[in-house]
Amino acid sequence: EETGEDENYEYGKGDFTEHACRYCGVQNPACVVRCNVPSCRKWFCNSRGNTSGSHIVNHLVRAKHKEVCLHKDSPLGETILECYNCGCRNVFLLGFISAKTESVVVLLCREPCLSVNALKDMNWDLSQWCPLIDDRCFLQWLVKIPSEQEQLRARQISAQQINKVEELWKTNPDATLEDLEKPGVDDEPQPVALKYEDAYQYQNVFAPLVKLEADYDKMMKESQSKDNVTIRWDIGLNKKRIAYFVFPKEDNELRLVPGDELRLRYSGDATHPAWQSVGHVIKLTAQEEVALELRASQGVPVDVNHGFSVDFVWKSTSFDRMQGAMKTFAVDETSVSGYIYHHLLGHEVEAQVVRNTLPRRFGAPGLPELNASQVFAVKSVLQKPISLIQGPPGTGKTVTSAAIVYHMAKQGQGQVLVCAPSNVAVDQLAEKISATGLKVVRLCAKSREAVSSPVEHLTLHYQVQHLDTSEKSELHKLQQLKDEQGELSSSDEKKYKALKRATEREISQSADVICCTCVGAGDPRLANFRFRQVLIDESTQATEPECLIPLVLGVKQVVLVGDHCQLGPVIMCKKAARAGLAQSLFERLVLLGVKPFRLQVQYRMHPSLSEFPSNSFYEGTLQNGVTINERQSSGIDFPWPVPNRPMFFYVQMGQEEISASGTSYLNRTEAANVEKIVTTFLRSGVVPSQIGVITPYEGQRAYIVNYMSRNGALRQQLYKEIEVASVDSFQGREKDYIILSCVRSNEHQGIGFLNDPRRLNVALTRARYGIVILGNPKVLSKQPLWNSLLTHYKEHECLVEGPLNNLKQSMVQFQKPKKIYN
Amino acid sequence: DDEVQVRQKMVAVDPQEEADFDRELRSIMQESLESRKLEIRARPTLNMMIPMNVFEGSTRDHHGRSVEGESGDETMDEEGGGGNNKDILVKVLVKRGNKQQTKQMFIPKGCSLVQSTKQKEAAELEE
Ligand SMILES: [Zn+2]
Ligand SMILES: [Zn+2]
Ligand SMILES: [Zn+2]
Repeated sequence: EETGEDENYEYGKGDFTEHACRYCGVQNPACVVRCNVPSCRKWFCNSRGNTSGSHIVNHLVRAKHKEVCLHKDSPLGETILECYNCGCRNVFLLGFISAKTESVVVLLCREPCLSVNALKDMNWDLSQWCPLIDDRCFLQWLVKIPSEQEQLRARQISAQQINKVEELWKTNPDATLEDLEKPGVDDEPQPVALKYEDAYQYQNVFAPLVKLEADYDKMMKESQSKDNVTIRWDIGLNKKRIAYFVFPKEDNELRLVPGDELRLRYSGDATHPAWQSVGHVIKLTAQEEVALELRASQGVPVDVNHGFSVDFVWKSTSFDRMQGAMKTFAVDETSVSGYIYHHLLGHEVEAQVVRNTLPRRFGAPGLPELNASQVFAVKSVLQKPISLIQGPPGTGKTVTSAAIVYHMAKQGQGQVLVCAPSNVAVDQLAEKISATGLKVVRLCAKSREAVSSPVEHLTLHYQVQHLDTSEKSELHKLQQLKDEQGELSSSDEKKYKALKRATEREISQSADVICCTCVGAGDPRLANFRFRQVLIDESTQATEPECLIPLVLGVKQVVLVGDHCQLGPVIMCKKAARAGLAQSLFERLVLLGVKPFRLQVQYRMHPSLSEFPSNSFYEGTLQNGVTINERQSSGIDFPWPVPNRPMFFYVQMGQEEISASGTSYLNRTEAANVEKIVTTFLRSGVVPSQIGVITPYEGQRAYIVNYMSRNGALRQQLYKEIEVASVDSFQGREKDYIILSCVRSNEHQGIGFLNDPRRLNVALTRARYGIVILGNPKVLSKQPLWNSLLTHYKEHECLVEGPLNNLKQSMVQFQKPKKIYN
Repeated sequence: DDEVQVRQKMVAVDPQEEADFDRELRSIMQESLESRKLEIRARPTLNMMIPMNVFEGSTRDHHGRSVEGESGDETMDEEGGGGNNKDILVKVLVKRGNKQQTKQMFIPKGCSLVQSTKQKEAAELEE
């Protein structure tokens, strides 16, 4: 199995030490002792934390345990503390005495040994018996008190919690503090907070939310089985078998993405035995087909095409990595710097400046010149341990990020780690960084190695295959053999794996920059890597635990890039979303008072198109880096109502319907008008790849695709090449012309998906040259933001109705916006 | 180089909790003492001789490394090597089973254990 390596890996495991204080997690061997009661054997430290006695003394008193053992790495080595004379191990009776003349000390019990008369005549000074436990903690020179830093980074346990967990241990000795906070099955999970006492509390809040989302994801994906699937067989360049088929989906279901694992099944017939195989999705075609590369090529019933079933194979990897990162964050104090640790938890930390010599120029070779706000962002970021960069649409986030990474890499602090939640964003960034001349390795999940990538030459698997040295020829030979035979003998397989791992390691280590998704940063192949400098792009689309994965590899300087005014992470489980899992780390840091550097010049939209988003989402700060002339579509003859304003709101009164599946909406007249607009664009010389149709509902999306190819006035193929998709799948991208079909037209119901201002912002900021919005103003105007959008269009004489070739201003009345509307 | 200044909030120990804890601590001390006093038959035989090798050359520290011993007539060793200037190196006698072992450890100069020895040394010197 190819993924075997990954599956055997336990996330965050390497960081646990048995001897960590069971109360607070401190694990310095000089500071801990073990309770020596056989049924207990737990470790505790000698710090008081927020309690009156030290943790070990607290435990001994509350549990009524009396014996302890020192750690093997403590100054005295592994030693059970006992009376030198009688062997009594009750620590409440023990104390040190010293010899009268020598620098020799022993432990002696207070009763009876200290009061034995005969002792007085000996060489020992009994008058200075020095009790082991003094002022409610162990003698500090025997068991050290953790440093202030260590204590601050430990779990901040309260006396109440101690009493509770001690109570719990009486019936369940293996219980953990997490068990105290576990909610019952039907309880609402604890919501996310702005600040956390410590990383354990952080973990206590987020771990159940990640679990909820994982359970939901599993349940949903595993219920997506489809029967009666028709297969078209093919063979890939790597000689592997590929199955093509259509996998229909609904609104509330996750889209398949390349790298997903599916199981293909055939129940068998008179001439074919039952068969099944697992494979990875390698692409989704424009014809809405899924291409599945099968893992095993043998025994595939390629002469059958009908009657297959498809199941989703759910993987817990990404969730395991989030949980692992949170554990590491809590127990491994080298996971992030002290400053970042306290800052992420919302503790008040004295501002810190990163002392680096700043470059003379802030741009980077191979990249466009930076504008003033970009230079300011790069310069500021290089001097701060934590910074946020807000990049509104089209403001050159990627170029700015690449410039930052370039300068970080030149500071010689080791390799820089660059992440983003999506593969598309990682690829874009990897390409730009590579253009500066830095050595970039793009690490892909093993399941995505067959997925084509625009930066294939940067990927680790490609570089391993194409490294040209003699020792690699052995690897290549084995690879070839494996490809041809499907498997290797176990000794060859061992050799192959070892060689591959060594080569991967060698290539990764020689890179200046490693690029991967946030989840990819938890790849076992990076387990022994440390990254002091980390940049996360699109960080506002990642959940906090996801963002944590690249950070716990030793970060000292972190840059989060994103835009909290655009869409956030997608959370499928409502309970987890309600509890705040959908809030990104970027947003929480903003709430904590970290001021993002905002990039202010947009290079995408025609100035008329950027006006409303700038005023509504960015306090009017968005400046235009493009002129009206640069966005004049010369030679395109389209009936814009106001010639210099390539935008209009096309009033639609058609009724919405529930889609055939019963779970989505569609609006036939609106779809018909979308086709007319598309046709007009195509006739005027616009090519299909320039056009994007955005609609929030899967029902409408499917209907538009179908309608256009059946009823389009032009060649069918032209319509098939037009991308019709949800707002979410357009985030981070642009098109020359955007048509937005709002669908909802029911006065008594909400406007659903369009109610989120961030989604509207994304929808309005995808177009470079022109935008057409179709919708029902009577319904939409109830929502305050839509109301002001409609007013904006009306004031500019862009609210129109009538046939396309004879548009006239609409006199439709708006409704008063409601304060809260859903 | 990971210096960080965290503005710490003052954590006040709950006086009720403190009192409660003190009561339990005293009771476990008391109970420990009482139980030993009752064990009259358990009067131990004295076995408190300081083994000769403590005065001799080298001992072994807990890492098994050989530690250079002090010459016999030297008194308290004012050590700068492992601890800081305020620390003094002492030998700790422990038993593992019946075997005596010597380990070395630093204790602060201010500790009453070593102070009294120092005073005595000073007194003895004057005589
Ligand atoms: Zn215990
Ligand atoms: Zn502790
Ligand atoms: Zn004793």
